[in-house]
Amino acid sequence: MESINEIKRDTLSALLSSGKRGDNRGMYDYRAISVQPGILQNAEGSAMASIGKSQVMVGVKFDIAKPFPDRPTEGVLSTSADLLPLASHLFETGPPSENAIELARVVDRGIRSSNTLDLSSFFIEAEKVLALYVDIYVLDHDGNLIDCSSLAAMAALLSTRMPKVEEGKIIRGEYAGKLPLKDIVVTSTFGKLGERTFIDPSLDEEKGMDCRLTLATTPKHLCAAQKGGWGAISERDLMGLLDISMEKGKELRALLPKE
Amino acid sequence: MMGGNTANKPKLLVSGKRVDGRGVEDLRQIKIVARVLNDADGSAYIEWGKNKILAGVYGPSECIPRHDQSLYRAIVKCRYNMAPFSGMEEHGRSGPSRRSKELSKVIKEAFENVIIAESFPKTQIEIFVEVLQSDGGTRCAAVTAAAVALADAGIPMKDLINAVAVCKIDGEMAVDPGKEEDNFGESDMPIAFSPRTGDILLYQMDGLLTREELARGLELAKGATEKIRKIQVDAIGKVYAEPKEERFLVIK
Amino acid sequence: MESKIVMPGDIVSDKPDRISYAFVDKGKTYSTVVGLFHDGKLVPLEGPYEPLVEDQIVGVVTEVKFSGYSVEMNTAYAAFLSSREIRERYEMGDTILARVSMIDEVRSTELTDAKKLPAGRLVKVSSVKVPRIIGKKNSMIDMIKSSTGCEISVGRNGYVWISGSGNATLAEKAIRMIEAQAHTSGLTDRVSAYLKSAKQ
Repeated sequence: MESINEIKRDTLSALLSSGKRGDNRGMYDYRAISVQPGILQNAEGSAMASIGKSQVMVGVKFDIAKPFPDRPTEGVLSTSADLLPLASHLFETGPPSENAIELARVVDRGIRSSNTLDLSSFFIEAEKVLALYVDIYVLDHDGNLIDCSSLAAMAALLSTRMPKVEEGKIIRGEYAGKLPLKDIVVTSTFGKLGERTFIDPSLDEEKGMDCRLTLATTPKHLCAAQKGGWGAISERDLMGLLDISMEKGKELRALLPKE
Repeated sequence: MMGGNTANKPKLLVSGKRVDGRGVEDLRQIKIVARVLNDADGSAYIEWGKNKILAGVYGPSECIPRHDQSLYRAIVKCRYNMAPFSGMEEHGRSGPSRRSKELSKVIKEAFENVIIAESFPKTQIEIFVEVLQSDGGTRCAAVTAAAVALADAGIPMKDLINAVAVCKIDGEMAVDPGKEEDNFGESDMPIAFSPRTGDILLYQMDGLLTREELARGLELAKGATEKIRKIQVDAIGKVYAEPKEERFLVIK
Repeated sequence: MESKIVMPGDIVSDKPDRISYAFVDKGKTYSTVVGLFHDGKLVPLEGPYEPLVEDQIVGVVTEVKFSGYSVEMNTAYAAFLSSREIRERYEMGDTILARVSMIDEVRSTELTDAKKLPAGRLVKVSSVKVPRIIGKKNSMIDMIKSSTGCEISVGRNGYVWISGSGNATLAEKAIRMIEAQAHTSGLTDRVSAYLKSAKQ
């Protein structure tokens, strides 16, 4: 409803202009974060992450697949996201919404651009490669599902074991070492309202803000970005928030399990 | 469900011990935590053997679509769904399978019996069950977790129900089949009871059973259902014994 | 406060008694909810808001209609506030304090005696905890108001409106604490201690 959103915007705007956020956080403070790696045994990799009251589970599975015709010697990475109806009264059953699709593609872009995965190492033989499926399962929605999902996805990848492949088939239940990863990718998502920016928007803040900006970083690079929402960001915003992301990246990486 | 190549059939029962060391009356280990989600009106997480299943409840809320509405009671809806990473084998397909749709229906019907829906006309009560990791017997674990989630939401019910399956292995009736017993057993019979009355609210069966075997199976199931109810009650009691302001699903 | 926690289906009486949140089956009475049973009364520990006539509620205007307003108030369907019941005019998004004047047989609710609330924040709690948040003779809510300097309106429907220039975040935290521990004893002292320590 258009007008209800305007009301929420006004309330948030008033709050922010007094320099405060609803839960007394600083503008660039994350809510409490927790990561639980390797919690599932049927999946080759898994993790749960929570940021504030948002909770996301990610499962990693391998299958044998045909490579893409234009990349015949490369494995396949496929990321999907489910905004489960039990996660929020705002989510309905049915095919993935544009929000679910955007979430999956943004998390995917961070992993893919960072080149942390060596997809050519997934080649088995002609017409046979390993496909790696990253499935984001949103269990509880209180805002900033992108950062929560990226964190869970990275933790899941860090916990992933390579399946044993014999004669072009996966032997389930047997493994061949851990999934090699080159870099740890993390994302930081910012909300913007008027001229103010703030990190890790809660659901209430998401309802009132003008737009969001997600920056995916490795220790040295920006590797993916996505702006969402109708508002506008300035160059100054972008450069400033990149600096903050690089700082926050260190904090976030410290929360992930060591390889 | 039955299947499996009978030529390679392993011995499932040796001197009263099953493949995982259990006796015929022994349940796998069950652990339940209630109130693990923040947005849902009620929730519960269950580990049953290696099954890991999450149940969430919303309601009573506006019944959508309108034409589903009843002037006399709440409409109960249920979605049983398996995560694509829940099985040991291939990555799962997206969208509900025929099996998931069938289970959604029979689980919903079990709860339609006990939820006092007349208290909330024109509304809907939604039950969502997500199988995060499967290990045989997911529908029984789903019913058991969903009952706790409904109680957590304060939805009025005539009883706190649960479900358990009975199987026939090497000619003997046994409770709570594990994955191998599911695959190679001679019969599978999931049952949901209302412990208060002994009424059967979910009932399915396949395989071959004599009348005596059926009676023995029901007896085993009834005994198990009492034990499971205690675990459910403990989980609900913990919510109030150890109150929390924020809820977390902890899986370890 | 020695009450027993009962579960749905647990017996609360050997006779067919009329007890709220309980039902009679074959001459005995059983609980329908997770609740505390004490002195013949069953109090649910959780549950949806079930409006009663005369309840004072906090609601949000979600629709401006020709003859009145739709007000969202933590029930499955919005309540209706007729323009003829009030002097003020409201807009979408306004928060109001009002009284339930009528409930029909399909639980549609009508409101009266509405008053617009000033800018503030909405805290949604489980409606069954509201009596504890208010406290005996308003003791609990008064303590929070004076300690935080906030204006607080507590709706019986579980919607709490915090306004004014006080420490709204602290008030919200105290309310959440009461919501989680509503069934315990010694709560007033713990909340008091929490409010004191948070102010340092």
